Amino acid sequence: MRLCKRLFTLTAAAGAFALSQGTARAADATLDLVAPIADYKIFVSEEVDALVSDTTTFVEAIKSGDVEQAKALFAPTRMHYEAVEPIAELFSDLDVSIDSRADDYEQAEADPAFPGFHRVEYGLWEKNSTEGLGPVADKLLADVTELQGRIESLTFPPEVVVGGAGVLMEEVAATKISGEEDRYSHTDLWDIRGNVDGSQKIVELVEPLVNDPAFLEQVNGNFATVDTILAKYEEGDGYVTYDHLTESDRVTLSAAVNTLAEDLSTLRGKLGLD
Amino acid sequence: MPETPRKSAGTATRLMLAGAAVLVLLGIGAFWLAARRTAAPPAADEIVVTVNDATCEPATLEVPAGRRTFRIHNASDRPLEWEILDGVMVVAERENIAPGLNATLSQRLAPGTYEITCGLLSNPRGTLTVVATAESEARQAAPETREFIGPLSEYRVYLGRRSGQVLTATAALSERIAAGDVEGAKAAWTAARVPWREIAPVSARWSDLTNGMDPQADYLAKREEDPGFTGFHRIEYGLWSQGTTEGLQPAADKLLADAATLKERLGALDLAPADLAGNAAAFAQRVADQATGSQTPYSHTELAEFSADLDGIAKSALLVDPLVAAASPATSEALHKALGNARSVLDGFMVEGAWPSYDTIDTAGREKIAQAFAAVAGAAGAYNAAIGLE
Repeated sequence: MRLCKRLFTLTAAAGAFALSQGTARAADATLDLVAPIADYKIFVSEEVDALVSDTTTFVEAIKSGDVEQAKALFAPTRMHYEAVEPIAELFSDLDVSIDSRADDYEQAEADPAFPGFHRVEYGLWEKNSTEGLGPVADKLLADVTELQGRIESLTFPPEVVVGGAGVLMEEVAATKISGEEDRYSHTDLWDIRGNVDGSQKIVELVEPLVNDPAFLEQVNGNFATVDTILAKYEEGDGYVTYDHLTESDRVTLSAAVNTLAEDLSTLRGKLGLD
Repeated sequence: MPETPRKSAGTATRLMLAGAAVLVLLGIGAFWLAARRTAAPPAADEIVVTVNDATCEPATLEVPAGRRTFRIHNASDRPLEWEILDGVMVVAERENIAPGLNATLSQRLAPGTYEITCGLLSNPRGTLTVVATAESEARQAAPETREFIGPLSEYRVYLGRRSGQVLTATAALSERIAAGDVEGAKAAWTAARVPWREIAPVSARWSDLTNGMDPQADYLAKREEDPGFTGFHRIEYGLWSQGTTEGLQPAADKLLADAATLKERLGALDLAPADLAGNAAAFAQRVADQATGSQTPYSHTELAEFSADLDGIAKSALLVDPLVAAASPATSEALHKALGNARSVLDGFMVEGAWPSYDTIDTAGREKIAQAFAAVAGAAGAYNAAIGLE
């Protein structure tokens, strides 16, 4: 009988495993997602409104030749872009002109086509000057304003929104932890804050629809770890430069971010949007 | 006798063991199948794309519609971002693929022609052709529920914002009335009517509020003298027919309170997929039926109202237009044509960029407007059937 019981236990375990595999693909998405997606659009619209108004001030500082003021405004301004990247990145032309990096160009920083935030960042930090940045800044403002208009009339695809939670953390894991994103200014902690805020917002909105308490507990636990580490590096309204991050905090942050990226990559499937 | 139970007990044990063995085998089988299903799919299921310094290999791809997995190999010496593009819109992307490494990207693809990016922004793009299948065609004719999540959430945002505008404008109206400013109140009233009419396609969902916010004197026993004559038209009557703000404050305050309730209610209004085109078609027909009469009998601002009606109708119905255009291009074209025609009919009445008083529009002109809205109603009315919602 003990053997019998053990066999049954084993069988039940195998069956349960098979069952959990079978149900890993959730039922098809339902209209319960309508309200969270609508709320997410409102969040994105508010962030983009802030992006446009902050960029306006940022551009004024650049054009008036105020290097220090422009440097101070760089990170808080682009944080709004980082928060809404899953949607902003849908517009490939604008993403290129607002946020591409020197690596995307044949002649890197020297390429006359190198535009946007990172072109301005390069000028302000590497050259310590606003010289020649006027037209780049004007174009940046025109681009974020165009983005605002396009987002206004965009119907948000639910799989992009839900998938965006993981995409944002993957982005942190791949380009922010290494410090390569803001390589001239080292303001990566601001970008990370923006990405994490954007990801947390999505999770917060769809959380009531995710029927997996253990998953949510792990995700929220890792978000809390990230929040705690970032809080240690706050300075004024923002953050110290990335080189202040201790090796042990970098390792902890990296682990939490990687686990979040991996966990949140399953969110689409959990909501029937694969 | 003592033998039997023992024998049967033995048989039972043997049966249990045999059953258990079968279950174990089934369990192991299920386990194996499950494990196999979660393992990386065979390479044959994946579409392999290699990106080198100059191009994608292959640079021209053709795949059947549905969920497809691409394996992108970065053979260049820079980090790679690989994208599938529909015009400037990114359909799917995989970022930060390190040199020498692979990454996979799974995406549901609808039939059509797309571009793929191939490394440096200056590199020429490749082409991805997604070919229709029996399954994708069935899906186009009857889109799944998930296809309506985006349109319905967009409409929810729209209703929330427009009802917010109604609230702001009625607050301004109440404030101008309190100040005794007839002209300012008229301007605020006209401004409030635009978002109010834009959300009118769903007004049947708040008929209790409409009865207090928008009743017409014609439908009340004592007409303008009726105690039930309140809301927008009571204020319109006071401002335009009597030329005063006197006695309008209670109506303005009530309108403002109702507008707050309306905003709250629209923020939580659940609509069904068929409502988007359905409500638009029904409302367009209502406008057509009323166009020869008078809906703003004191201010004669009907043309401004029609213009807002048309915008609200277009917003609602066109949210499902991408689905309709894929399933039945002719049905989509017919609505675009009807909407374009209605817009030019209305704009044709404009005088120096402003709407003239509706009492200057003769019967023939009003008939023309009625016909234009009836055509919109007909074209929008064909939408639901085209996407399996009828």
